[in-house]
This record gives sequence, structure tokens and C-alpha cells, in this order.
Amino acid sequence: MTIVATEHLSKWYGQVSGLNDVTVSVPSGITGLLGPNGAGKSTFMKLITGQLRPSKGQVRVLGEPIWDNPKLYQRIGFCPEQDAFYDRMTGREWVTALTGLQGFDERTAADAAARAIEAVELTEAADRKIGSYSKGMRQRIKLAQAIAHEPELLILDEPLSGMDPLMRRRTVKQIKEWARGGTSVLVSSHILHEVESMTSNILLVNNGRIVAEGDVHQIRDLIDEHPHTVSIRTTQAHAVARELLADEGVVSVRFEPGGLVVETGRPDAFYARVTDLAASGRFGPISEITSPDDNLQAVFQYLVKT
Amino acid sequence: MSARPALPAPPTFTAGAARVFGLSLGEMLWSRRTVFLVLVTGAPVFLALVARIVQGSGVVPLRVNGAAVDGGSIFGMMIWVFFLRFIVPVLGVFYGTALIADEVEDRTLTYLFTRPIRRGAVLVGKYLAYIVCTTLVVLPSVVLVYFLLVPLGQVGRTFLAFAADLGLLALGLAAYGALFALVGAALKRPLVSGLVFVFGWEQIALIVPGYLKRFTVAHYVQGLVPHAMPSDGVAAVLQSVLRDNPPAAVCVLVLAGIVVTTLWLGVRAVESREYVLDQ
Repeated sequence: MTIVATEHLSKWYGQVSGLNDVTVSVPSGITGLLGPNGAGKSTFMKLITGQLRPSKGQVRVLGEPIWDNPKLYQRIGFCPEQDAFYDRMTGREWVTALTGLQGFDERTAADAAARAIEAVELTEAADRKIGSYSKGMRQRIKLAQAIAHEPELLILDEPLSGMDPLMRRRTVKQIKEWARGGTSVLVSSHILHEVESMTSNILLVNNGRIVAEGDVHQIRDLIDEHPHTVSIRTTQAHAVARELLADEGVVSVRFEPGGLVVETGRPDAFYARVTDLAASGRFGPISEITSPDDNLQAVFQYLVKT
Repeated sequence: MSARPALPAPPTFTAGAARVFGLSLGEMLWSRRTVFLVLVTGAPVFLALVARIVQGSGVVPLRVNGAAVDGGSIFGMMIWVFFLRFIVPVLGVFYGTALIADEVEDRTLTYLFTRPIRRGAVLVGKYLAYIVCTTLVVLPSVVLVYFLLVPLGQVGRTFLAFAADLGLLALGLAAYGALFALVGAALKRPLVSGLVFVFGWEQIALIVPGYLKRFTVAHYVQGLVPHAMPSDGVAAVLQSVLRDNPPAAVCVLVLAGIVVTTLWLGVRAVESREYVLDQ
């Protein structure tokens, strides 16, 4: 079953092209939308969530046009990329209020919100103001508002951004569980490893075009040929560096305020190692791991050359 | 997400607006803008308190331009000078233009526009929250000023005029708010446009002889005021000389028409416009 279908879809912002003649059919299950920043991912996401109107071409989501079709949002959950909230509200108030906009009565909305908050493991913090949440908690409460009404299709824009390694692992597991429960998921990221941990079905976007789609294992091989940069935020950067340097794949380590930046030729093994380190707690909290999009950019440059 | 529940009926336009109203009212009431509003509406209350103390002391009689005046006259002046010429239009501009613009700037509009409610219902819900928020702050300030300035013995005689004041201020807030909700929904720099309208266009149109004043909101709000217009400046003198008060019924009908028409146009603008949020 096709969950998102586009035909010759283009979007221009004045003279600038955001997306160029994209024809694609996204199947049910989990699909990763992968591309460096500025590649057109966000434009694609905004078009398929009906926030933007196509300049040319068509978008159909769950078989229906999405622009100016609000009832379709009953079947869609969207977690946007931007870190934006009503900060004075508690997590519970916010998710309940947004779930109420789906058409549920107050009681049902409150129950659905509580279930969603529990699913993202934020129950204990649910009655705190969102303004006091960490970046990872804010990401999770955004996920909660997207899943509370139990949609058929979840559209997640960079959902793991800002999460600590353990929470990343749990969220990936949770997304896979949702998919097993029958929810289709379209997830965007600029980190191949992140997307690969959820699915092998990938859409590669660059310069406003879909450059590859399907089970792209070849891309996976390419990434190994390019050192992968990972930034780690930790209070014990030197101890963590000593531990990581013992790993075979680590090419270089550089220190920066609040953490370190590591280059590795084996990102899979490296991410697993960092997650294990975080779980062990031996070096204090590892609060965040991020990966700049130049890893992927290098792969795209390679693809364009060949 | 195991057994997917049956979908509820999508909210109607009215139900959607009511839910957005509930979501927005608390945010609006506790916003920094409302703190500023409380300070602004507190100024006439403070002045009324000072006037009451001076009046109560009996040492110095209250005078305006050398003439002794009673509390009722001062109240009428304050309605003109503070509320009609400043507070009501300024609140209309600052709140009305921000109804959608704030959500765009805070990048929270996505959460409202990806729900099964019409985008227009978002604007209407937020507009209703604006009406409640501003009247909750402005009208109590007017009530305080009235009871501070008007002696209890004169309340019976002046109460109808006072009730008319409250009504016209609420109507003024509704009309300016709806107009600037449209401006905020349709234009990219709504605040600048709103300020130019209130402090540029309306000021000029009201002192130009002829029909131009009919294209202002102030003309119809001022037509409902039961107090004499104070001559506290060249512009005010010109305005009072050139003033042609339409009948009160016409003023009410036109203001109601402004509310309905501009809100409808605002709904149309929100439904058709794309809002590009920064990441």
C-alpha cells in the first residue's frame, strides 16, 4: 500500500527551488528520508504534511490530497523538527490540548495524552513546565503529541536530534514497535546510521531531488569509506576519549568545550560502543551525541562523481 | 499503538475555534504582552487615584484649562484621552496583528495547522481569546477609574453613560482586533502596517473635511461616546470642529460589519496563505 505518492512535485520559494520534479511512491512500513541539511527534506516534509502548497505537481497522502484537507490529519501524526512549544504549559497540558484538537472529548484526550506520555517515558516529568525540559525530553514530548491520537501514518522530522544515546536506542525501538503495530512511519534524518537502525527502505534526497530510493545497501558500503564525524557532549571528555581510542575504527579525536569530536571509519560499531558507555555510567552522563551532515555530504559528492 | 480506536468526528469550525480558544486564552493571559497591557491600563487608574486624593483633600479644586471640573467630567476626558485614542487602538494593533504572527515567530503554528480543524478556526479561536483577554484587563480598569472619580451620589445619574462607555470600548476592541487580525493574517509586516493605520491614516482622515473619516474605525467608535470631546491639542480641536457624528445605531452596525467582514477576510487569508517557518 502506498502511503505517500507525489507526481512531478516541485516547490519554489520565489526564484529558489526547494524541491524539483519529484515523483515518488512511499510504501507502508518504515521509510527513511535521508539527506544533508538544505537538500530539500524539510520542504518535502512540509509538502506532505500540507503546510506548503505545491508550486507544481501533486501530493497524495493515504490516498487523498493533503493541502486544504484538514480531516486527513485525524489519520496523521506529525513531529516537526523545530524545537518550539508553549513553554508555560506542562507536558501533560500541552499534549492533552493538542490531542483535544483531534476531535476527542476532554476526558478521552487526557487519557490518550497520558498513554502517549507513558510511551515516550515522560510520565514522571509530565506535570512539569515544558520550559524546564532538557532537549531530549522536549523531543520526546513532541513525539507524544504526534502519537497520542494513534495515527495510521507518523511523519517524524529529525526525531532523534538532541537525545542521549540511551534514549535514542529506546526511541528507535519504540518507532519499530509502532511500525509492527501497523503504523506507517516516514522519518527524516541527515544521519544514515540513525535511519538504518530503523529501516533499510530509504529515500535519498539531494539538491531538491530524490537521487535514490529503495533498499540502498550500497550507500551503506559507501559510508564506511568516508570517516564519520560524531560529536559527544560529556563532562569527562578525556576519559571517554581514552576509552574510545582503544577502538579499531576511531581515526581521530578532537576536544572542544563540553565534550569531544571523534572521527570513525566504523560508525555502526562506534555508536553501539558509545551507547554501552552511556549505559554503564562509568564516565558520568553522556548527554548528547550529534553528527554533522558533512558525513552524508561526502557520500553525496562521491555519488555525483560516479 | 495496538488496537486503533474509532476516529471521532472531526471538529466542526465552531468546535475547532472553541478548542483553539481554550488553548490560547491561558497563553495570552500570562504573556509578556498582557503584563504590558496591565501596566498601560494601570496608568489611568493611578491618575484617577491621585485625582481622588486631591479632590478628597478639598485643598485644591480639580481644574482643567483653568475651569473647575467634577469627577464625572474627568472620567469622560479619561475615556477619550486614554482609552479611545490610545489603549483600544494600540491593543487592537499589538494583539490583533500577533494572533497568527506570534505562532509563526514562535514556530508553534505547525501544531495547530496539522490538526483536523480548519485553519480559519485557528484564527477565530485566537481572536475570541483576544477579546476575552483584553476586555478582562481593560474593562476592570475603566470600572476602577469610574468609581474613583465619580462621587457615589452621581452614580445613578451617570450610570447609563458609564455602561455605554463599557460597551463602546468592548466594541472598539472587537473592531480593531478583527481588522488587525486580517492585517496579521494577510501581510508580512503587520505591526508596522497597523501602527501606520492607527497613528497615521486615522489621525489624518479624522481632520480632513469630507468623507475620508468614514474609512476609519475611530470615526464610528467616537460616534458612540456620550462625553464631550476634549480640546487638548490642535488635532483634537480640528477633529471636534470637523466631527459629524453618525447616529449611534449606524455606528454599532458599521462596527459590527467591520468585525464580521474583516474576520471573514482574515479566515480566507489564513486558509489560502502558506506560512514558511524558520527551522
